[in-house]
Formats: sequence, structure tokens, C-alpha cells
Amino acid sequence: MKVLQLRTEKCVQCGECMSACSKAWFKEDNPALSRIKIENKATYPNINVCNQCGACIEICPTKALERDANGIVQVRKDKCTSCLMCVGFCPSASMFFNAAKQTEPFKCISCGICAKACPTGALELLTTPESK
Amino acid sequence: MITVNGNQSEWEEGLTVKQLLARENYTFRMLSVWINDRPVEKKDFPTHLIPDRANVQVIHNISGG
Amino acid sequence: MEMKEMKLLSEWSYEPAKIQRGYANETLYVGLGNKDGNYKFEKRPVSEDMKENFTGGRGFGLKLLWDAVKEGTKWDDPENELVIAGGPFCGITQYPGTGKSYTVFLSPATKQTYNSNAGGYFGPFLKFSGFDALEVQGKADRPVVVFIDGDNFKVQIFESTLEDNNAYYISEELHDYFAKDEQDKRTISVISTGMAAKTSYIVGLNFSFYDVRRKAVRLKQAGRGGGGTVLCDKNIAAIVVKRTKFTGIENDPVDVETIMKAGASLHKRIHDHDNEQCQMRAAGTAHLTEIMDDYELLPVHNYKYGSHKDIGNISSHEYIKLFSQGTADGCWYGCSLACAKAVDHFPLQTGPWKGKEVVVDGPEYETAAGLGSNVGIFDPHWTIEANFYADHYGLDTISLGTTMAWVCECYELGLINKENTHGLEMTFGNKKDLMELIHRIANAADDFAVATGWGIEAAREYYSKNYGADLEVMKKIGMVCQGLEASEYRCQESMAQWGGYFLTLKGPQHDEAWLIFMDMVNKQLPTYEDKAEALYFFPCFRLWFSLHGLCKLPWNDIEPVDNSIKYKGIEAARVPEHLNNYLNIYTAITGKPLDRDGMILQSEKVYNFERIFNLRMGKGTSKFHEAPDRGLGPVWEDEWMARPDYFDTKLKEFGEEIEGKSVKEKITLLQKHRRAQWEQLKAAVYKRRGWNKNGIPTLKTVKRLGIDYPEVVALLEKHLKPEDEFEEE
Repeated sequence: MKVLQLRTEKCVQCGECMSACSKAWFKEDNPALSRIKIENKATYPNINVCNQCGACIEICPTKALERDANGIVQVRKDKCTSCLMCVGFCPSASMFFNAAKQTEPFKCISCGICAKACPTGALELLTTPESK
Repeated sequence: MITVNGNQSEWEEGLTVKQLLARENYTFRMLSVWINDRPVEKKDFPTHLIPDRANVQVIHNISGG
Repeated sequence: MEMKEMKLLSEWSYEPAKIQRGYANETLYVGLGNKDGNYKFEKRPVSEDMKENFTGGRGFGLKLLWDAVKEGTKWDDPENELVIAGGPFCGITQYPGTGKSYTVFLSPATKQTYNSNAGGYFGPFLKFSGFDALEVQGKADRPVVVFIDGDNFKVQIFESTLEDNNAYYISEELHDYFAKDEQDKRTISVISTGMAAKTSYIVGLNFSFYDVRRKAVRLKQAGRGGGGTVLCDKNIAAIVVKRTKFTGIENDPVDVETIMKAGASLHKRIHDHDNEQCQMRAAGTAHLTEIMDDYELLPVHNYKYGSHKDIGNISSHEYIKLFSQGTADGCWYGCSLACAKAVDHFPLQTGPWKGKEVVVDGPEYETAAGLGSNVGIFDPHWTIEANFYADHYGLDTISLGTTMAWVCECYELGLINKENTHGLEMTFGNKKDLMELIHRIANAADDFAVATGWGIEAAREYYSKNYGADLEVMKKIGMVCQGLEASEYRCQESMAQWGGYFLTLKGPQHDEAWLIFMDMVNKQLPTYEDKAEALYFFPCFRLWFSLHGLCKLPWNDIEPVDNSIKYKGIEAARVPEHLNNYLNIYTAITGKPLDRDGMILQSEKVYNFERIFNLRMGKGTSKFHEAPDRGLGPVWEDEWMARPDYFDTKLKEFGEEIEGKSVKEKITLLQKHRRAQWEQLKAAVYKRRGWNKNGIPTLKTVKRLGIDYPEVVALLEKHLKPEDEFEEE
């Protein structure tokens, strides 16, 4: 399964990843629409992005959250009722929403566009062994 | 003597909030304790001392039904 | 699926309303004729006046029922209706507890209006199908299934081919019948009752939803007041609604962002703190049993006692072990409080499905206590089986529990005997015979079972006439008022809760005011005026939820961590942050501002209208607000001797000398003093509510509330007497 690996010490908070992600998925350059969020803590950045742990899967009342063939947790919009329980229950608060664009939440699906855009190598898409 | 929810109650030196709750058999989880109109945080129940002649209110925040 | 294809009797197509700012602005009327197959369908508009004065939900239900019936209408006349309505919040998915609907009808048990709330999908799907309310009137000429097809905008009436007339069978079959495939089953909701509805008055309605993980139907109940009896009287086997598509803005809010933010943040709060607060996700409302026991509030042996040594057997720990954990148990999308717990693979030991492994919905606290400690049984497996069959047969677990507890005491006092009961030994704790009685009530097996199934008020008349049982004694120990059995809290030691049970609109159901702790433990209501203020405010406050499609549990069964530090006293009990969520979401849906006063006004209009409606039906006055002796304190010596120091102190507080008095004398004195307090409480509450001494809303009150319709004024002028007025201050 491909998951984003984070090398936080290399992050210079340039915002290129958020720009690339939001433009790719929402056609708008806006950090609020990015599926990876860089937060500025006092002495270091915090990179908040889904690690495909799957804790949200059992929370969803319609089973709209499921792993695809590559093991990535996807939001199936045809089943999603926009209840946002997954947002509240994500252990790392990595499920996001933005009312202006849609009522369904959104998350990282390991496409790697942000890793390509990152100038310092702080993000890398790596294949991890499948966990049972 | 102290007052607990309007009733007179015994006091002794070193009486903590936690001890008082046990003595009054207030076992409910979601309690808030106010002493002389000031709230006591839950984490301080085991150590917070109740002064003599205090007006203690033990509010059960129970929703019920 | 077993059922044969159903014959279509009548069909009607409609143009669906577009939901605007929380309202479809139309209601659906279905007339069944009068056993003559004369089916009728109508779309009716919702007026601005209706929204202004009745808001939605229970308010719409009362308004539509008022228009449908006349002063002399009986519950089993064809004019009686079942009216089901959600409200402006109903159907949003982002905030916990927004799938509720109220069913309003003339009740066989109370002989006035009753309104019963249920969780689940029916209310939202009805609204998405284009209707703010459904009215069903008349009686079908054969058992029918009414199908509201919100996908194809048709209403159809089928001749039922259901072979078993009990709820789980009906619900499973109809989810199967109307669904295209397994995936489609969750787009359906079924209203049904059970076989007990043929003869019993303590029969409610089941509202289904489909559990996609369990692959089984789940049932929530509009349990109280006899709605199931009315459904059966109308010859309706089931009401079904289907709606497949809806979006996160189906309710057409002005500002969905506010709703999304409030919802996500409450989900997070529940995730972080439910486990250290009420444990709703793990135990549901059954988390309350040991708490009630600790404070002498658990009903034990027909409310005689408040605690029992075997409480450990029915504590939340025991139920958490039996409920399946970690599955999405909300009764509508977006409820992260998820209190609809279930026991899976439960093997039934008795009855028509003996040996079958079933999903049991619950028990809730009321069932754990009513079909548990109140009948002297401390065995969760017995309670779970009783819960299952009660739901399946349609029996209201609260009325059933309280009635059976009363029966046990009557039996143990020798008021009725084994011959009367057709061989059943109705002693507290007799698991075998109490379970057998449940089956016999459902089956109308004999005269005793049928009479008992009418509920306490009618049963005691029967026992008195036919068994020579002492009616006065049965009245003292019967926890019933206005024809409705009390729910499962011991109100004896809290004067405010006497009012919370016996000064209510519909009977001693705790959804008006639950003030026991505020009064008895926290001592926050020391004077009559304080109690009266609480008995004015909280019923209005809680009624607000019933107008909107809201469940009250997410309001105060989860709290912000600093709620009781930031806010003092009774203000903390209002959970201001969550209250503000509701005000903000109301505006986010409708575009209209709302503050606390506005909230109370919406409720107060409907509160008083309901009171006046009950007056119209021949009730609704002071004499029906009576408290049984058992509701005010001990009746027998063993109750006094369970807490002798406590009761001696209570008697001394009235200035009585206790030296040299027998227990019997002390009981009589305490009852006398408390009854005098009861009369004072009643007067203080009536005054605060803007009613006269006879409990009737005054003309001044109805004018202030804007509900002075000509019919209302005419009715009041008939009943208001100058000698009943309170003096102006």
C-alpha cells in the first residue's frame, strides 16, 4: 500500500504541497481545500495527513469508507450521507471538510502529487507492507 | 461545621473534596463541586481542602430520561 | 422473504414538494374510508400561521389532529388519526440526533391526546418524499400496507399478505419486499405494531431502520400511549416509506457551513469524552441503573424501594458485556452518540420464536428497570428476552413493566389470587410466570390477561368488579396518572418530580421534566416558586425538541468538559454551549433568528394548545392531575422500615413528634403532610404556567401566546370560572 512518509525536519512550510493538492482535486489554489495540511507550530511544522490507518471505516453508518484494491481508504460519495462522524473520530484529525465545495468530507488518497511538488523531499510516497 | 447542599455537615481539619464525596455517598461520575461560590476542578478533588464554615455545593450534572 | 405478492388496492401520484429552509410546506392525508374501501389521498398546504404557532413535529401533529376530530370523538372512531411529523431539523445528517418524529393520536389508554416520539429514518424519509407530516384517518376494510414511495412519488395501498402480525417479522419482510437488493434495504422505514394491539391499550409503534453491518432490521419505538392499538384498529398492518437519494443539503439550509462545523465539533467531543461521561456509545441509556440505585431512585418492587443488593447483576458493566461494541449504532445518520445498543445472536428461551437467535434492540434504561428491578428480576437475560417480545408484540416496555409490578404487589397483598390469574403466581421475581404473562397478554389468552393488558386504570376496575379486589388499595399503590403508567424513576422523595410526573400534559412520562437530582440532591429548587419555575421552564424547553425532529440526548447526555465550571447552578443544567448550537443551527436552516425567549415561546404555544386540546376531549383539568399515595411516599410498613432514620427525619421536618408513634401512624402522617405540599405545589405550578386554579389556560395566556383562535376562546369561555382565578398580585 502506498502511504505518504513524512520527514518533518525537511519541511520549510513553503505550502507547495497544499497548493498542488487543492489545485488537483478542487481546481482551486486554497489550503482549506488541501488534503494535507501544514500547520505552523512555534518551533516546527506539523504535517497533518491521513496515514490510511482505517479507524474511520467502522464509524461510517453506510460503509461509505472502504479500502480500495490498493489498500487506500476512500470516501465513496455515492454512499456518503455527509454526516461527518469520520471527521470527529479520526485519531489524527486528518479527515477534512469545506462547505463551499461539497458536503462530503475528503482525505488523502495517496496520489503522490504533493510529494512531487515538495522541493525539499519532506514528503515521499512509499510502498508499505500490507498490514492484516 | 460546613454546609453541603444546604444541609449542616461535620468538618474536620484536612477534609478533602474526595473524602467529603465518599462520606456523603455522592458516587455519580459527573459532579461539579463549588466551594464558597468558586468551582473546584475535578483533577483537584483528591487534594483540595475544604475550609471550615464553607458553603459547599455538589452539583450532579445528570441528564436523565 | 416469505410473503406473497400484495394486491394493489389504490394508488395516487403526486408532484413532490421541494424542501425549502427545513420545510416541505405540504402534508399528506391518507383516508382509509370507513371499512368500505373508500381510499382517499390529498396533499394539504402548510400555512404560515401553522408554522408560526405550531413550528412542526408534535405541534403539526396536534394541529392536524385538532382539525380532524370533534369533542366527542373516541380513539376507536374512524375520525381518529395517526399523525406523524418530524420538524425543521428533521433529516439533517451533520448534527447528532436529528432523525426523530412524533406520532400524535387520541389514546385508548389516556382517553385524550397522546404524542409519542421515535428515533430513526421514517421522519427524514417522509420529509424527503415531500411531506412535513402524514395523517392517516379512517379504517380499512381489510389489513392494508400503506406505501409512500418517495422515489417514484406515489402513495399505494396494498392488501397485506403478511402472515405473522408481529413487528420483527413484518419489518424484515417489508424491507425485503420493497428493496431492489440488499444495498437498497436501508432506503426503507417501516412502522408496525404486534399482535398485542388487538386487545391491549399499552401497545406502541415500532419504527424500523436497516442495519447494514448486522444485515438486519433494527426497531426504535414510539412506545407509549397506545399508538399501536390505534394502528391495529384502523386495520393497518404497516406504513412504509422509501427514499433512496438525498444529499447533505436535502433540508435546504441557508448556511450549511454552520451546521457542518457544529456537527463535526460535537462528533469530536463525543469521541473524546463520552467514555468518561455517560458511556452512551458503550451502554446506551442502560448506563443509569447503578446510578439510580446509589441514590434510591431505582424502582424496586413496584416503586416500594429505591435500591437492591443485586444491582450488580443489572449494572452498566453487565450490559456493556452483552451489547455488541464498536459498531455504528446511531438511529439516524450522524448520530455519534449511537445509543441504540443491541444484543446479537440472542437465543430465545420462550414463546413462538423459541430457539431462534435474534437481534434484540436494547434494553434501554426504562426497560432494564421496568422489566427488571421493578418486577423484582435482576437477570439481564430475562430482561433481554422480555424486551424482545415486548417489541415484537408491540407492548410498551414501560407500561408493561409498571403494570406487571403493580400486579405483583396486588397478588402478594392477596387482592387477587391464583384462580383469578389462571394459575400464574404473580410474585416479585417470578421469572417464569412473569414471562408467561407477557405471552398471554399478547395472545389475549384469558380474561385476566386481557384486563391486565388494558393498563392499571382499566385493569383495577376489572379486578375490583370481578375478583372483589379492594379498589382503594389498588389506587394507592398504582403508579398511574391520566391513564398512563409512570416511567421508571422513583419520584417519592423529590417534590419537584411529583410535578414532573403528575402535573404533565400527557401523563407521567419523564420527557417533560426530569428534576430529581436538581431538586432532591443538588437542592437547587428550595421554594415552591423555584419548583414552579422549573416546572414551567423545563417542560417548555424539552418540548422544543419535539417540534423540530430532535433527540434531546445530544443536548445534555454529553457536555463540554468545562460546562459546570464555566456555568453555575441551573444555568449549567441548560448546557449553554449546546443550547446555542441549536439556536444557531435553527437560523442556519431557516434563515430566521432565534434566541432563548423565542425558543420558549415556540414551545409554550404548543404546550398550552395541547392542554386546551385535552380540555376539549373532556380531560385537561385539575382533578386529572392526581398523585397516587405510592408516588408521594411509603404506603406500607416494610417501605418505612427500609430507611427508618431517613423517614423519621422527614416526618420530624414537619414538626411532628415521632416518639411513641407506630410505623402505621407515621406513614399516615407523612402522607397527610405530603399531600398538603402536593396541593401547594399544584397551585404554584398552575399559576406560573398562566393557568387558573382548575389547571385551565386563561384567556390572557392564550392571547399572549397568539393561539386565541375562535374555537379555542369559545371552549375556554365554556370552562373558565371566575372563582377559579388566581388573585392578581
